[in-house]
Amino acid sequence: MSLGAMSPGAVRTLIILGVLVLWEALPRLGLVPMLFLPPLTTTLVAGFSDWRVYGAALVVTLTEVAAALVFAVGGGILIGAFVGALAGPRRILLPVFSSFYAVPIVVLYPVFTAWFGIGSESKIAFAAIYGFFPTMLATAAGIQTIDPNLVLTARSMGATPVQRLLRVILPASIPTLLAGLRLGGALVIVGVVVAEMLISAAGIGYLVTSSRTVLDSPRVFAGVLLVLVIAMGFDMAMRVVERRCAAWGGGAPAQVPRRRPIARETGQANAA
Amino acid sequence: MQPLAELKPVVDEAIAPERPIIQVSGLDHVYPSRDGPVHALSDIALTVGEGRFVVIVGPSGCGKSSLLMMLAGLRHQTAGTILCSGRPITDPDPDRVGVVFQEANLFPWLTAIDNVAFPLALRGVSRAERAARANAMLELVGLGDAGGRYPHELSGGMKQRVSIARGLVQDPPVLLMDEPFAALDEQTRMAMGEELLRIWSATRKTVVFVTHSLTEAVYLADEVLVMSARPGRIVDRMEVELPRPRTYEMMAGAVFGRLRDRIWQQIKAPAR
Repeated sequence: MSLGAMSPGAVRTLIILGVLVLWEALPRLGLVPMLFLPPLTTTLVAGFSDWRVYGAALVVTLTEVAAALVFAVGGGILIGAFVGALAGPRRILLPVFSSFYAVPIVVLYPVFTAWFGIGSESKIAFAAIYGFFPTMLATAAGIQTIDPNLVLTARSMGATPVQRLLRVILPASIPTLLAGLRLGGALVIVGVVVAEMLISAAGIGYLVTSSRTVLDSPRVFAGVLLVLVIAMGFDMAMRVVERRCAAWGGGAPAQVPRRRPIARETGQANAA
Repeated sequence: MQPLAELKPVVDEAIAPERPIIQVSGLDHVYPSRDGPVHALSDIALTVGEGRFVVIVGPSGCGKSSLLMMLAGLRHQTAGTILCSGRPITDPDPDRVGVVFQEANLFPWLTAIDNVAFPLALRGVSRAERAARANAMLELVGLGDAGGRYPHELSGGMKQRVSIARGLVQDPPVLLMDEPFAALDEQTRMAMGEELLRIWSATRKTVVFVTHSLTEAVYLADEVLVMSARPGRIVDRMEVELPRPRTYEMMAGAVFGRLRDRIWQQIKAPAR
């Protein structure tokens, strides 16, 4: 069977399996030094034998991610909606926010540790700001793509301003909000882990850095795997939310794929 | 060659023996623009008799859509009064006026039936009554079995039918239609015209219909109002003495041609 005849899902599984096999085989065969890439099984054993340490680090990191997510995505969507919907604030604030976005905020992280200490607070503050700007800008852009005719139509039916907001603008912004959540969430995870790696005393990022300084590669990679698990978990949670909101498929900005018709087409293809 | 007398404007002639339902007098509209104030509508006076099908036709940019938006209470005139059922129209009032726009403007996150029921939901009508009334309207427009579909699963003509059903669901005596078939292809447009006349004769609503198509105007109307280019004025008013139901064959007849030609004589001079 050729690759072309396989379903995308099967090809994807095959690729992932291939990567895992190579991860195990390359160091075992001596093609890659174990210091650079410890075999998958060695990595897993290192992680599981230290499960208490990794578990505690996971809890710290997840708590920081969750707290930063609330600030970044909540604030980003709220302020983005405000800035995007109103012409005045948009003209005044958007250029400012856009220039802030271009600043590598990571240079501010040492300042954050001075202000908030090296505990979780500085990570939350850093990741929140790191995720805030893109979420806000994406939401501001998305709100502007809402078809004004939908609001006009609702007005013609006598909808009050509150009804227009709750029954038209809000549902029409859901694809935008989801895109903002996805973007903000991914950046918050990056922000927390990077901050932990730079200056900290706890969390997965800290474990990765401290293991690296003693050249304990299996523990470094165990940490990397754990971050991967967090990112995949977030992605899966987002998929569930998106599927629930995507029943109506069309008419939305392009971020939300049209799941229903695609499912129907493939269903027919399989039946035929 | 037409006798010149027939081309003379007959604006002051009262030809609405039915009880008037819409009365517009002294309507003027001026709006500001970058190049100074634009005089969009000038001294519009018209009366629409109850149960009549009145078509407003005019060149692009003559302000016919603006006039319709004012009848709907969605835009405010600079001067003049609009009465509907004897009371002024200042804001959208779905009890008196339903609106169908050029684009169907369906809410993409709602099924066809929920779109039709939307105006009722705004007013807190019970779920059971909403479903019953929306279903009846979908039956009326010939989409009784499409209620569960989302807008992106409907064709252009079907969407516009749902939009008409939505405009009628609150049972307003007047239906305003702003070039509702302009975005459809020629065949669909013809079929929708026929369909609209069927719906109109079944409901006996008063319809005010804006179009730039001369053929559509003569085919649909009891009475055609011709508007001039900006500033929009009503330059002619004519009765369409063709029997109902209207048929496709009538379009080739002498009466149809004469009326069509008379509208064209009014519109073509400024268009040149």
